[in-house]
Amino acid sequence: MTTATMEPTALKEGTLGTLAGTGKLLRFQTRRTRVFIIGWFVGLVGFSWLIAAAFPSLYPNAEDRAEFAVTLDTPAMRSMTGPGEYLDAFAESTGAMFAQQMILWVGAITAVMFILLVTRLTRADEETSRLEVIRSEPVGRRADLAASMILAVLVAVLIGAGMAVSVLGMQGVDAGGALLYGLGYTSLGIVFACLTAVAAQLAAYQSSANGLGFAALGATVLLAAIGNAQENWVTWLSPVGWSQLTFVSTPDQRWWPLALTLGVGAIALWVAFALVTHRDFGAGMLPYRPGRAEAKPGLGSAGALTFRLTRGLMWAGVISLVLLAAAYGSIVGSADDMLSGLSEDQQAVLNQGGASMEENFASTIAAIDGLFAALFGLLVVGRARKEETGGRGELLASGPVARSGWPGSYLPAALVVATVATAAGGLILGLTGAASTGDGAFFGKLLGASLIQLPAIWVLTAFAFTMYAWLPRAGWLRWIAWIYAFVVAYYGELLELSSGAQGISPFYHVSAYPAQDIDWLALIVLTVVAALIAAIGYLGVRRRNLHFS
Amino acid sequence: MNAVIRTEKLVKRFGHVTALDNLDLEVARGQTHGFLGPNGAGKSTTIRVLLGMLRADGGKAELFGSDPWSEASELHRRLAYVPGDVALWPGLTGGETIDVLGRLRGGIDKRKRDELLERFDLDPRKKGRSYSKGNRQKVALVAAFAADVELLLLDEPTSGLDPLMAAVFNECVREVAAQGTTVLLSSHVMSEVEQLCQKVSIIRKGVIVETGTLAEMRHFSRSRIHATVKNPVRGLDDLEGVHDLAVDGLDVRLNVDTGALDDVLAQLAVVGITALTCEPPSLEELFLRFYGDELAAKGVNNGDQS
Repeated sequence: MTTATMEPTALKEGTLGTLAGTGKLLRFQTRRTRVFIIGWFVGLVGFSWLIAAAFPSLYPNAEDRAEFAVTLDTPAMRSMTGPGEYLDAFAESTGAMFAQQMILWVGAITAVMFILLVTRLTRADEETSRLEVIRSEPVGRRADLAASMILAVLVAVLIGAGMAVSVLGMQGVDAGGALLYGLGYTSLGIVFACLTAVAAQLAAYQSSANGLGFAALGATVLLAAIGNAQENWVTWLSPVGWSQLTFVSTPDQRWWPLALTLGVGAIALWVAFALVTHRDFGAGMLPYRPGRAEAKPGLGSAGALTFRLTRGLMWAGVISLVLLAAAYGSIVGSADDMLSGLSEDQQAVLNQGGASMEENFASTIAAIDGLFAALFGLLVVGRARKEETGGRGELLASGPVARSGWPGSYLPAALVVATVATAAGGLILGLTGAASTGDGAFFGKLLGASLIQLPAIWVLTAFAFTMYAWLPRAGWLRWIAWIYAFVVAYYGELLELSSGAQGISPFYHVSAYPAQDIDWLALIVLTVVAALIAAIGYLGVRRRNLHFS
Repeated sequence: MNAVIRTEKLVKRFGHVTALDNLDLEVARGQTHGFLGPNGAGKSTTIRVLLGMLRADGGKAELFGSDPWSEASELHRRLAYVPGDVALWPGLTGGETIDVLGRLRGGIDKRKRDELLERFDLDPRKKGRSYSKGNRQKVALVAAFAADVELLLLDEPTSGLDPLMAAVFNECVREVAAQGTTVLLSSHVMSEVEQLCQKVSIIRKGVIVETGTLAEMRHFSRSRIHATVKNPVRGLDDLEGVHDLAVDGLDVRLNVDTGALDDVLAQLAVVGITALTCEPPSLEELFLRFYGDELAAKGVNNGDQS
């Protein structure tokens, strides 16, 4: 054999081929995503631990849990939690109750993590040409994808282990049950990592790959919810459903549904690895469409451009709030059923103030919707910072645009997005609530309850903008007020916060309409506070340096 | 007031780093002014102060005789800017971007826009994220040249362009300059500055170290002479202003200060000249002279043996 024929075979390396260099890339990718991974791990597992620690004391004895199970056994509640099969086991197993409550939403959030992780490791690198440099090194064509997937699997195992430990020692959970509970998340993480790997081959951009991933997740959650509500086969179409169908910590506990999850993951992985060598570097598999050669006539000012650029967030906000409102609105009617499942003492506590259970429930869900609508306002403010650090704002700032126009127009855009999302959510909440209670008066009550959240939403949005204006580098400051309001709303009572501490959250001052009368003065004060904070923000945008990369 | 741009003792600090250290810059109306300096010398910082994006920490900056910070948006109506590293909105096409930027200025001349798209060979239907660096730059250039303004601020505008497009760019600059537009052109492409600019300012570590017309700057510099003479020449090394003399039979090479050119040529004429080339110092050589010590510190020989 001559050296001439040996060299190509030596280059191909026979054993590794397109996977050459995977080990080195794995270490590199671990190194550069460690903050992302640690952050998500702490958030997901930490949240799970907190709830797991608080759970047993909320429902200490079998009687309480059995009563709670009765309130959950309506189609609406099952759609928001998990399969009915768990409910019969509530009395003897706190673990079953925990799993029924947690798997759907914590599983969905776990999937979000893996979608984001895989797109940032694969398509984001390819889009920005960072991967181009890597591929020019002696590494195989599939090595970066392989390294990303190995990393995702390792992280999924870690998350699963953390989840398993979080339920260990809970009443009704044995070692096998804990392991299965953890594996439910590991398999979900893996399957969404693999599905996203396919999405990253189809789409040419990180944002569109994320979009495909989230669409798949949305369908997954929806199918599980529909199947659980109707107690039929539809749950079997959903990976999140498969984790729920293990019936972990119930007498019917079984492992094999997770084989479906891993099977789908394996197929997706195979497809992704096949696609990666069948396409050009940098290209996607989806067809490329040319855009408009000229701008539409309306696109003629910095403000119009801001609204155009935040259009996607507006739709995301409206769709999210509509779905959330539809889910909540459809169970307002069963609030009385919940009541009948409670003891007379508990009914007395809940009926204080003479408002009906339905009205109490309506005011609570309107506040939750408001909190989530504010989230989209904050996301729009975050876009302003991205425009600045991304350097695109430089083109606008060099034009005849006052600072109040750019970046100032991001505050009105944020307010409009949050307001439209709230209004859309309120409308749907009213419609579905009126339908589920069979009482037309609920339409007005629920819509009103949603709209009176607006001043509090404006306060949070204006606060985020002002933080952006004065301290742009400290991104967490934009979120701190929202996070505080979230903690007060969800855990204020649990943590026994004083009314003074709760009063820092603007939502605390919004009346619990329709259970109480509306306190108009409080709403006016909140609006004035929002306006003052916004004014301070505009002062800040005028004064500071703009930081372009 | 004939100065479009004028700074006096301009200071800008970022933390404890002084980016601009008493910078004096003046650009007269109608002038095409070259702004030279290596990376990090303060070119972009100067331009961003002039655009009112950064607030000066000391000294004075004037644009059309007004304060660029407080009058920013009004002044921007009269100028167009092309950043060194153009970032575009990923979801907007090049055409949309050009239109938006034009409309902010109160409308865009569609004929001019389409003509420029043609000349720069740019597809306006592509989305911002799919353009290459050069094409992103073209989007910003088309938007700037299509604008009807008195001042163009161009920050390394050709850094991503191919030679053909760089030629189109040069042509466009000459056209707008002929119409009386003032241009501040920051660049490290010396040939571009030599071709386009009447006046040049060289910036170093936040200070203007030299400013003047190319002719003025050359005056303080040496020309390189290469002559083939008919008879051996003597006495050249006695002349003041002659450097690096190398005589190889009838072949003579030397560098000469502009002031001593007369004497050298007279001396050569006496013995008879077969062939003569005289190169004026290139802008590159002028530039390297101001940075000679920096290069020497890095162990680079810039060809200046004296």
